Amino acid sequence: MIENARSLNITASIILLIGMVYISGPLYLTLTTASHSYEFMLRNGLAWYPGDQLLANMARVFTETRIPIQMLNSLLVALGNAAATCILSFLSAYAIVYFRVRWAGFAFALILATIMLPLEIRVITTYQVASNIFSPLNALLDVTGLNGLVAQVFGAPVHLEWSVLNTHFGLIAPLVAHGTGTFLFRQFFRTLPTDLFKAARMDGAGPIRFMFDILLPLSRTSFAALFVLTFLSGWTQYLWPLVGASTPDMQTAVVGLARLVPDAEGTVPDFPMIMAGAVIVSLVPLLMIALLQRYLVQGLVLSEK
Amino acid sequence: MTSESTLFSNRWLPILLVAPFMLLIVLFFYVPIFQAFYWSFFLEQPFGGGSMFVGFDNFARVLSDREFWQAGWRTIIFMVTASSLAVLIPLILAVAADRKIRLSLPARNVLVWPKGVAGASIGVVFAFIFNPFVGILAPLNSISPGIWAPGLDGLDAFITLIAAHVWGGIPFNFVILLAGLQSIPRTMHQAAAMDGAGPWRRIFDVQLPLIMPQLFLTLVLEFTESVTSAFALIDTITKGGPGGATTLLVYKIYVDGFSGYDLSGASTQTAILMVFVILLTAAQFLFLGRRINYER
Repeated sequence: MIENARSLNITASIILLIGMVYISGPLYLTLTTASHSYEFMLRNGLAWYPGDQLLANMARVFTETRIPIQMLNSLLVALGNAAATCILSFLSAYAIVYFRVRWAGFAFALILATIMLPLEIRVITTYQVASNIFSPLNALLDVTGLNGLVAQVFGAPVHLEWSVLNTHFGLIAPLVAHGTGTFLFRQFFRTLPTDLFKAARMDGAGPIRFMFDILLPLSRTSFAALFVLTFLSGWTQYLWPLVGASTPDMQTAVVGLARLVPDAEGTVPDFPMIMAGAVIVSLVPLLMIALLQRYLVQGLVLSEK
Repeated sequence: MTSESTLFSNRWLPILLVAPFMLLIVLFFYVPIFQAFYWSFFLEQPFGGGSMFVGFDNFARVLSDREFWQAGWRTIIFMVTASSLAVLIPLILAVAADRKIRLSLPARNVLVWPKGVAGASIGVVFAFIFNPFVGILAPLNSISPGIWAPGLDGLDAFITLIAAHVWGGIPFNFVILLAGLQSIPRTMHQAAAMDGAGPWRRIFDVQLPLIMPQLFLTLVLEFTESVTSAFALIDTITKGGPGGATTLLVYKIYVDGFSGYDLSGASTQTAILMVFVILLTAAQFLFLGRRINYER
C-alpha cells in the first residue's frame, strides 16, 4: 500500500476473520455433530468440539442409506454434465467465431438467452418434455398436417414416444442446455491473435486440422476451468434430479441427503447421521475445490468477462 | 475477427458443429418455455386426459388467487433483501481481501468453499444449526421460550433462508468483485493519494466507482440466482412453512405442479414468473446498465 493505514488494515483483518468464521463455522459444526452419538446430541445440543463417533456415523450412512449408490449417480451426472458442456460449448463457439456465416450472431443470441431463465423456473414443462422427448416432433407433425397425410396412407398417425425420465441421460441433458460454456470459449477465442489463424491457413490447415492442432491445445486452461465449474454445478443440482428421477437408486446424493430428514414434526431427527451424510456428500466437490482452486477461480472470472 | 480473410467459408461444417448443442437447447430450453405459455391458455388434464382452449381463464384464476399474490410478494421481498445482502457482504469482504494483509490469502481460499456445497446440503445443515431445540440459538429459548421459533414464526424462517442463501452466494460474487478490484491500476491509487485522499476515502472515490461493471453484473445475476437457489433451501429448511410464510413462487409452482397436478395453473404461474424475470433483467440494463462507465 501507498501509506501506512493501520486502522484500515485492522478493520480489514477483522472483517475477513468474521467472513471466514461465517463460511467455515457451519462446516465445522457439521463435522463435530457428525462425530457424536444421537444421545449425546439430544442431551447437549450442538457439539462445539469433535467426538469419537465420526466413523461409526459414516459407516451407518454407508450401510443404512442409499447414499453410496447415489454418489455414483452424482458422479455420473457431474462428469457427464462437465464433459458434454465442454465438448458442445467448444464446438459451437468454434463455429460461431471462426466461420463466415450469417446466422452466427443469431445462434449466439439464442444460446446466450439460456442464462436468463434457469432450469428451476421452467421445471414443470421441462419435465413434460423429458417424459416424451418426441412430443415436440409429434406436435409439429400434427400442426403441419403431415400426420393427417400419414394417417391416410398408413392408417395411423405417427406418434413417437421416448421418456428420458429416470435415466442418466435425462438427468444430464437439461443441465447441459446452458450458454455459459459457449460464452466462455467465445470470449477466449476472441483474445487469440488473428495472425495465428492466418499462419495456419498459409500452412494449409483446414478447419478440422486448425481446431484439433491449434485451437484445442491452446484452450486447455479454459477447458479445465469450465470442467471444474460444470462438474460442481452438476454435483450440487437439486430440483432437476429430484423430479427427473423417481426411484431412490436413480437419485443423486444431494437429493438422497435431503430425503434423510424425516417429514414428521415433533421428534428430533438423527442429526449426527444426517450430518455425517452431509460430510460424505460434500467431500468430492470440496476435495475438487481444494485441488483445483486455481481453475475454479479462473472459471468464475472467465464466465463473467 | 472482423476481417474477411480470418474466417473459414465452409457452408455445412459450422451447421454440423452447432447442431448438437442447438438441438439440446431447443429441446430443453425453448420447447419448455413455449409449452409453458401454450399451456397457460389451455385447461390441461393430468395424465394425458386431453386439453381444452380456455383463453385467459387460467390467468384470471391465478391472478385472483390470494396465495399467488402473497407468494409473488414474498419472492420480491426475498429477491431484494437476499440479493442485496449477497452482493454487499462479498463486496465488503473483497475490499478487505484486496489489501495486502496476512489474512488475505487464507480468506481467498476459505471464501470459495461454499461453491462445493450443494444448496440442499447447506439447507440441511442450516436447518440443524438453527433448530429451535438443539441448534445454536436453543439457549435463547431456554432463557425466554419462543424467541427463536422458525417452525412457528415466519420471520425467523425467512431469516434462516436468507442466512443460508448469502452463505452459498459468497464465492461467485467475492471472486468477481475481487478480480475487479485487483484490475484497478496501482497508479490510480497513487494519484488519489497524491491528491490527498486517505485510504478510507479512496475506497469510496476510487475503488467503488471503478468496479461498477462488476457490481452491476453480480447484482443482475444475483437477482435470477436468488429466485432459483431459493428452491433447494426452502425444500430442505422450511418446506414453505410455517403457514406458507416462506412459500416463494418457485416453490409454489413446484407444489402446484408436482403435488397438486394442476398443470395449467403451474404453467400459467411459470409464464408469469418468466415474464417477470425477463422484465426485471431488462429494467436493470435500462436503468442501471446505462449509467455504467466501462472505460478505465
